[in-house]
Amino acid sequence: MGKKRIVITGVSVISPIGTGKDVYWKNLTDGVSGIKPITLFDVSKFKSKQAGEISDFDAKIYLGPKGIRHIDRTSLLVSSATILAIKDANLENNTVYGGDDLGIVVGSTYGSIDSISSFDFQSLREGPNYVNPMDFPNTVLNAPASRASIFCKATGLNTTISNGVTSSIDAIIYASDFLRMGRVKAVIAGGVHGLTHDIFWGSHSAQILSGSIEGTPEICAPFDKRRNGLVIGEAATLVILETLEDARKRNAHIYAEVTGYGTAFEPKMAVSEDYQIHGNKRATLEAIKDANLTLHDISYISANAYSGKYGDAMETRVIKEVFGMRANLIPVTAIKSMTGECFDASGALQTVAAVMSLNTHIIPPTINYKERDEECDLNYVTEKTTLPVKNVLINSFSRLGNNSALIVSRYKQ
Amino acid sequence: MNKRVVITGLGMITPIGSGKDTFWNALIAGVSGVDKVTGIDTSEYKVHKGCEVKDFNYSDYIKNGVLKKIGKGSQFGIAAAKLALDDGRLDLKEINLERIGVSVGTTAGEIQILEKVNYIRHKEGEDMVDPELFLMHPCNNIPSNIAIEFGFKGPNTIIPTACAAGNYAIGYACDLIKFGRVDMMVAGGSDPFSKVAYTGFARLGAIAPEICQPFDKNRKGMMVGEGAGILLLESLDHAKKRNAHIYAEIIGYGLSCDAYHITIPHPNGEGVISAMKKALQSADLKPQDVQYISAHGTGTPANDKAETISIKKVFGDKPGHLAISSIKSMIGHTMGAASAIEAITCALVVQNDIIPPTINYVTPDPECDLDYVPNVMRRQQVTIALNNAHAFGGNNSCLVVKKFRG
Repeated sequence: MGKKRIVITGVSVISPIGTGKDVYWKNLTDGVSGIKPITLFDVSKFKSKQAGEISDFDAKIYLGPKGIRHIDRTSLLVSSATILAIKDANLENNTVYGGDDLGIVVGSTYGSIDSISSFDFQSLREGPNYVNPMDFPNTVLNAPASRASIFCKATGLNTTISNGVTSSIDAIIYASDFLRMGRVKAVIAGGVHGLTHDIFWGSHSAQILSGSIEGTPEICAPFDKRRNGLVIGEAATLVILETLEDARKRNAHIYAEVTGYGTAFEPKMAVSEDYQIHGNKRATLEAIKDANLTLHDISYISANAYSGKYGDAMETRVIKEVFGMRANLIPVTAIKSMTGECFDASGALQTVAAVMSLNTHIIPPTINYKERDEECDLNYVTEKTTLPVKNVLINSFSRLGNNSALIVSRYKQ
Repeated sequence: MNKRVVITGLGMITPIGSGKDTFWNALIAGVSGVDKVTGIDTSEYKVHKGCEVKDFNYSDYIKNGVLKKIGKGSQFGIAAAKLALDDGRLDLKEINLERIGVSVGTTAGEIQILEKVNYIRHKEGEDMVDPELFLMHPCNNIPSNIAIEFGFKGPNTIIPTACAAGNYAIGYACDLIKFGRVDMMVAGGSDPFSKVAYTGFARLGAIAPEICQPFDKNRKGMMVGEGAGILLLESLDHAKKRNAHIYAEIIGYGLSCDAYHITIPHPNGEGVISAMKKALQSADLKPQDVQYISAHGTGTPANDKAETISIKKVFGDKPGHLAISSIKSMIGHTMGAASAIEAITCALVVQNDIIPPTINYVTPDPECDLDYVPNVMRRQQVTIALNNAHAFGGNNSCLVVKKFRG
């Protein structure tokens, strides 16, 4: 029995460079940066001041005005994106599928931290008998996905994956496997990261933010010599997945096909300076093999590159090891140059960008690329480029050692 | 896609003891893990009892006893994994480490780290917080630390679906084995005692003052617990090839979501019913094929009533063939670890044909009128056991464990 084919039949984006796939795509291809001074909280005490903040987000537009006051930003973002995704896939009001045929898989790792801390602080300050029980549900890590399910009445499946940066790719993989088992008809899969003070503060203290070390510029410039750490972004981004069979049955618009994926674990170990190279390579090769493709079939690489000193150079080395002679020819682009590192939403942002590329044959640029680094010497796309796009390799890896690779392909009957 | 998945190793850290034999003997003897909480100061709380893991010494479980700075969730996870690997007599030198992965569930992850951060912020100010603590907090540290300890290089994932997380993680691990993406998985759940959870449940009035009495008429709530449960899972082929002892087979599972309310379960138990039905369907079973259900059975008035109604909807009003028990009466609610420890219990039930009791059962409740194996364990043949777990957010799950027959 051949593997059931999995297709993407809906997309939704709420991002620092726009809400809705069309605005997102226009800004992405025009090279518009979503990085701006933070307004959500006071940053006067920090050296870094910027983030990929969503400036115009208003949950009421999507969720209505009632009952949303106690829900945190991460949950509001992903619930809103869920409504947009269902609309985009023409699955509103569960008229095609019943609620039990519809599932949700959300990548979310850091989104509840501020809610946990504020609940904890209230108990520290005022005593445990004075905490607000309405705030308690926000402290649970699966709250964002559960809130989303209530808004869209999806009862078939509800899973949260907390693997950090790779979460949304891992969510898409989980959802694809689940669909192949025939357990549900459609899955809303992706990830969310809401910008919050505590994550910014923690990342700043740990000096992983660009500009957090004295004398370094605050810049989001993947592969550029001046890069010195990430700029945080926030987003909620989802795709709707179905088996080809079911998508056809309901005459769904098919954006693209998920043709292959691979995952591998390789952590940073004290004994090795070249960490994650082998794991990243293994995930990439497994994905290409899983998609039944060869290296020559990959049209371009959507890089994980987040403006990290080591990460971007490591990714460059992996691409060289995997693609050999072709490494200098294959186009590589890093959209995080525009959105910032949106953690659990990053892979989904890359996936939607790949979907749009497959339909328009445009590769979005890596912006802010000016100074060449000897360690990063590939064919980075720095201007909007038009080129036939058939298969996009999406690379995703996390600080803790997860490596995930996904291949999204142009849909052919 | 049709590989059979078997359980070949069991490891657990629990409030009534750690390691298979200690745990099982305590479980069938009806030992209670409830005691005064010592990890947090409860003087300002209205309740003071809980189920903490006692005498846990992390250095007993790690190679060379080198202590890395990791949270308690990772320590519990590594310790339970070590017990499972030893129990499964797995020689790590003999297997392909790229073909073994980690899938664990949790409710709160390394919550104790974040609570420490908050305490320092509150007492001494933000600048006194060690930045390293931040990096130790996100819950994906748990599967990562487990994989690092043993060198596993396969898929690595954490599924934090609250109190049903263990079942979700085990279910996904089974899928990966079924699809042939891996040969083996280390799967289960881990949760250290959480002050935030204790505070929240106490404020909601959900914690029992003295004892946990699932399904009893006078039940007064849950007991917050802590622990970890890890199962070594592998494809039947792989297990046979290395002559592993096989405890049981996992033949299916069902998931569903209430999509109803963030904390209150669906009043008609629709989601719970759906999860059990899907589980039976995935395993190609009829209700009468099931002899035992390890209940979610938290001991709160609402949960136990709703679960009873749901079981009746699936199995009939008087399912004489069906025994149900809640080990939470003994070990408390170990949160993300709960359904993993209960899955381990199901494996031991079908292997030994012994059902652990629901202890503290005194007064029958007309609304909970099934056979809950009250107070004393029972010898009874069990071929099929279901493992129910439900959670905050309306996440429901049910795992199907079957007596192994080659």
